[in-house]
Amino acid sequence: MIEIDQKEVLRYLGFRRGNGPDALLMSEIEKCERELQDAVLPKSIVRRFPLEQIDEKTLRFAGITIVSHSLSKNLANCSEVYLFGATLGVGPDRLISRAQVVKMSDAVIYQAASAAMIETWCDTVNEKIRKEVSAEGLFTRPRYSPGYGDCPLEVQRDLIRVLDAPKQIGLTLTDSLLMMPSKSVTAVIGVSDVPVICHPKGCESCAKTDCEYRR
Amino acid sequence: MRRDIPIGRKRLFFDGASGTMLQEMGLAAGEFPETWNLIHPERVASMHRAYLEAGCDIFNTNTFGANRLKYPDQLEEIVTSAVQIADRARKDADREDAFIALDIGPTGKLLEPMGDLPFERAVELFGEVVRIGSRAGADLVLIETMADSYEAKAAVLAAKENCSLPVFITLTFDETGKMLTGGTPESVTAMLEGLGVDALGVNCGMGPKQMIPIVKRFLTAASVPVIVNPNAGLPRSRNGHTYYDITPDEFAQYMQEITRLGAHAVGGCCGTTPEHIRREISLCRDLPFHEPVRKDRSVVTSFSKAVELGGKPAIIGERINPTGKKKFKEALKNNDIDYILTEGLRQEDAGADILDVNVGLPEICEPDLIDAVVKRLQSVTALPLQIDTSDPEAMERAMRHYNGKPMINSVNGKEESMRAVFPLVKKYGGVVVGLLLDENGIPETADGRIAVAKKLIRTAAEYGIEKKDLVFDALALTVSSDQQSAVVTLETLRRIRDELGMHSILGVSNISFGLPRRELINGTFFTMAMQSGLSCAIINPNNEAMMNAYRSFLVLSGLDQRCESYIRTYSGTKAPSSSASVLNNPAGGSGAAGGTGASNGTRTDVTSGGPVGTLRDCIERGMDKKAAEAARTALEGGQPPLDLVNGQLIPALDRVGQEFEKGTLFLPQLLMSAEAAKAAFEVVKQYMKDDGSEKKEPVILATVKGDIHDIGKNIVKVLLENYGYGVIDLGRDVPPEVILEAAKKNNVRLVGLSALMTTTVVNMEETIRLLKKEKPDTVTVVGGAVMNPEYAEQIGADFYAKDAMATVHVADTVFHHDS
Repeated sequence: MIEIDQKEVLRYLGFRRGNGPDALLMSEIEKCERELQDAVLPKSIVRRFPLEQIDEKTLRFAGITIVSHSLSKNLANCSEVYLFGATLGVGPDRLISRAQVVKMSDAVIYQAASAAMIETWCDTVNEKIRKEVSAEGLFTRPRYSPGYGDCPLEVQRDLIRVLDAPKQIGLTLTDSLLMMPSKSVTAVIGVSDVPVICHPKGCESCAKTDCEYRR
Repeated sequence: MRRDIPIGRKRLFFDGASGTMLQEMGLAAGEFPETWNLIHPERVASMHRAYLEAGCDIFNTNTFGANRLKYPDQLEEIVTSAVQIADRARKDADREDAFIALDIGPTGKLLEPMGDLPFERAVELFGEVVRIGSRAGADLVLIETMADSYEAKAAVLAAKENCSLPVFITLTFDETGKMLTGGTPESVTAMLEGLGVDALGVNCGMGPKQMIPIVKRFLTAASVPVIVNPNAGLPRSRNGHTYYDITPDEFAQYMQEITRLGAHAVGGCCGTTPEHIRREISLCRDLPFHEPVRKDRSVVTSFSKAVELGGKPAIIGERINPTGKKKFKEALKNNDIDYILTEGLRQEDAGADILDVNVGLPEICEPDLIDAVVKRLQSVTALPLQIDTSDPEAMERAMRHYNGKPMINSVNGKEESMRAVFPLVKKYGGVVVGLLLDENGIPETADGRIAVAKKLIRTAAEYGIEKKDLVFDALALTVSSDQQSAVVTLETLRRIRDELGMHSILGVSNISFGLPRRELINGTFFTMAMQSGLSCAIINPNNEAMMNAYRSFLVLSGLDQRCESYIRTYSGTKAPSSSASVLNNPAGGSGAAGGTGASNGTRTDVTSGGPVGTLRDCIERGMDKKAAEAARTALEGGQPPLDLVNGQLIPALDRVGQEFEKGTLFLPQLLMSAEAAKAAFEVVKQYMKDDGSEKKEPVILATVKGDIHDIGKNIVKVLLENYGYGVIDLGRDVPPEVILEAAKKNNVRLVGLSALMTTTVVNMEETIRLLKKEKPDTVTVVGGAVMNPEYAEQIGADFYAKDAMATVHVADTVFHHDS
């Protein structure tokens, strides 16, 4: 069971400035979350590869060459990377498409709650990686997904191929580079012998906006 | 040339992993293994030889990922060389008795409607590989590692349509016993046997130990031989390398257990080596062998649910049918599929097990429509469907694209009907309803009807269709014109069960046609029919009288354990005589609903127990059921419909809209209010004289080509409809030409486009350009995750809307409705 971060769900639903849902909406949110818990099939796959930094903007790992300043910054001082794929399966997509016919407000709630769930699921998988490398005296960098900064979205194709993600966890790409199931994440996680103290909730939650690792 | 493969007559052994072996020989992560057929044929051959020397009987070509998507230019060479390498290895190993399986894995894409690979395109992709591989000399087709039942169906159809070799298939499950898209051993077995596979089973995904419960389920469900090819345990990671955690000896021990359970062919998948296979063979070879046993189960399935006929009678919802329904006919003509879906889902909520789908109308193209409705229904409900049509073309389209094993309604004893329908059932699989009538009409006696049944059984057998896939409709004719008709029907039902040992179906409510208080006759007849053995009832599950009869019957015939379902449904409810007064209850009356401000209504809401406020209040608070009720109460109290709309409905919507824009009320609340307003308006419309004749400004909405997420567009649709616009919803992944055509055809001025990904904004731009060129008076408004005002301007859009309310304002501006 994936714990659902209620604050995140409300944030995704647009609640701001101390506003919260009334009892009616809250019970609807809880109902949707229960259904999601039954519908999700969380899966993940990670693989570890040596990293080559060719120049200040060019990286190579697992036979993939990527030109990206921002990813190069994120992976500074790293000698290895983990490639990372995680998904909640098609369950949330099914619930969302059904709700779009029956009750649009539920569709919006499923959308927000499953978005919060995939983040938590990624954090869980990420934490396992962190522990694994920490046992070796190494440190991880915040996970970095194709499409962030100047890292091309097309890298998605390579990550999915190298991870064999369709077969391993059912994560596929459409021709327009959308991931299906939609509640899925791919990422690169750097491994280094130099520590970087990061906000556990990721860059979006971190106050250090001038951080050179910020995605 | 087709070689006879003795599967099911003796134990056969498959080979083990190829990926694992090739990686050992230097295949890099992410490198496509099939390219080695061209660059390292000797290594691929040495792998085959190692497995043949270990003793396997069937070995797979190195073609798992070979399809036109991955190899746009080299597919022929790769597949042909794979078979040639296998053939040579077989000669070199002096194992000419072994069989070459043309190995086919998944495409790596998700099929429509969830993904973007059209079903027929998948059939084409697989078909190509099958043609090349069978031409090159493979002995059989092995489709494997399928984790989506729909893709499995596409692959099997492709194999059947493009070669005459035996077709085996193995599927992948997780520890919960489900495929990635929800399929279970029972549901896929029914579907795949219906499609005529020669053997089926399970591979990959887990080790032999975890597979045991799934193997048991397959052996219980399947009539054809069962294949089991597990991984060498569970994957572990060491120094960045994946390995599997059980030794050849442990693997062989488990495979011995699986063989004892009755598996007919075993081998290995990821992580297994020739050594695993050798040990497996040495432990399993001499165990006693049992041929597969035919299971006479009548099973109807969707992509994830299997409904077995017999035991508890199945409820088949009859509401997706235009007969006698004005609104439904309108919806069909306007291609308003959402309306049809809503009818389906309402029946599911009311307890239907299967949904009948009939969309036949003289003025529409039935094959197109039934195809679309079946696909859309399967994207919102997991209930199996009954394809109900008299048009063979429509029947074939729907059966071909159906994800599962459908019920087919219907064939009858006429020569012409049997000739049209039975070949389809044989090819695609299905449980077909046989109407007990023929060229001589409906027999008046049970004897006559049973005689037709026997003719149907005989003829079906000639086509290779088993009795389990026939269900007989005993035919209920109105008792008002023939007093004996119910007796004959019931007698026929009894004899279908007792003499033929088969299942029956009935459109129950026909019996009372022409009589007053039909529900009295229907409910009683339904009970009598079930008592006489009725297996499937085609009824309206929203009809309380019928469901009351059904639930009571289940209790009295011992089919509702501990009366649980009955108690859950009725506990705490009152008998109809007292609750029926809700509608006529004068309490509350116009006083409560006619008020303006806070909730001064104190009437008890029977449906959910709370007090009903004013309509305005209900809408603002987003309570749909109560809003409908408040509207009804007000209207029954004599309030003019337009007063209610202008005095309460619109002010409530306005206020909610303003609060949303101020940031004091949020999206789900905005939508809940919109839904409440819609529910209330449905009631108001019944009281308006010129229902539907008011002219609505049409607005087209579409998610552009390449984008398959449409939630944002649908939110906009809800709001626009609320504000009285006539939305023409073209759906998602819509090509520019289709949008232009719809705009021209309906003379639409405002077109709303949504895009989620930067990769699809080009298609949005293309759509705008096309519209401006071909229909210059069109105004475009764009939105979506990647849009902003600058971007919108850059691609030539007239308006950018940041959210659904903003789109409403754009529409008001364009049509000069702004206040």
